[in-house]
Amino acid sequence: MKCYIDSVVVDSRIPADDIRELIPDALLRRRMSRLLRTAVATAVSCVGGVENIASLDAIITATGWGCLTDSERFLRNMISEDEQLLNPTPFIQSTFNTVGGIIALMGKNHCYNMTYVNRSHSFEDALLDSMIRVADGSSRNLLVGAFDEQTQSQYRIMERMGVFRSQSPGEGSVFVSILSEKSQSSLAQLVRLDFPGNSLNETEVLERYASSSASLLLFNSYRDKGLFPTASAHSFARAVELIRCGESEVVVYNEYLGATPAVSVVQCVG
Amino acid sequence: MEQLIGELKEHLIEELNLEEITPEDIDSEAPLFRDGLGLDSIDALEIILILEKYYGIKLSNSAEAKPIFYSVKTLAEYIMKNRK
Repeated sequence: MKCYIDSVVVDSRIPADDIRELIPDALLRRRMSRLLRTAVATAVSCVGGVENIASLDAIITATGWGCLTDSERFLRNMISEDEQLLNPTPFIQSTFNTVGGIIALMGKNHCYNMTYVNRSHSFEDALLDSMIRVADGSSRNLLVGAFDEQTQSQYRIMERMGVFRSQSPGEGSVFVSILSEKSQSSLAQLVRLDFPGNSLNETEVLERYASSSASLLLFNSYRDKGLFPTASAHSFARAVELIRCGESEVVVYNEYLGATPAVSVVQCVG
Repeated sequence: MEQLIGELKEHLIEELNLEEITPEDIDSEAPLFRDGLGLDSIDALEIILILEKYYGIKLSNSAEAKPIFYSVKTLAEYIMKNRK
């Protein structure tokens, strides 16, 4: 069971000025929060433009926290307006599947559309779904993405819990274009996903998942992007970049705040 | 009336997040929906909230909303007659 990575886009590669070009519909754009704009722009950039959304046969997104800004705005309005006169937009856009829905609406695409909200496993679960769909022949051209945002209130809660004593807060979006078949533009192949059930040390990870001594192990790093549930998507993007730069195999080990780990193995296209 | 129209345009821009649009860009007599400003059904809900929040007007009959919501001018005329 394997699939091919055709393109990976990380939100930091998208300048703010490009968002207007990537989301040309001003009526749609004006209702979007910062997270929605960056996540949707990252997705559109990953598929190479709005016109290519229609050719996707699966849109699979992942988030640990969801659209926090709109959720908080809706809840604040409920309190300040005494549950009367509530603005519908923050409610509509507060759901976890807003990003997947907007991508589908932009491309008028009614294909399989799923959002995984499984804490730090969300991205790997989305990848697993894509691998299963490729394996059983349900999909050939898939868009898989992960997004999370940090808000002031979320920061305050996590800080009080002591989470940021050793890590810095983070957020971000990553989208991956996956094909069932190898193509000229294939960057890497995803060959394995696993959820080992308990923490593993470096030696154990390599013994269990590396196919050769040349394999590189990439632990989930919060140094660059900070800590958030779908940070492993950024490690996955880094793994694909390393393969593109000549590595033969990269094992990505995701262990977030003591949660059950997830492992993905990315190889060069043979 | 002119002052109310100006105020209404400010509320519409702020509450509907009309990016890159100034009160001067909005033609008071142009349609708000579809061809004119291009608003949609969610915006209609937002306008109902503007009427209630800022002018104390509660639209009891949704059937009468269509002519009232035609333009900024028709909205302002309705507010003038019904504000509390």
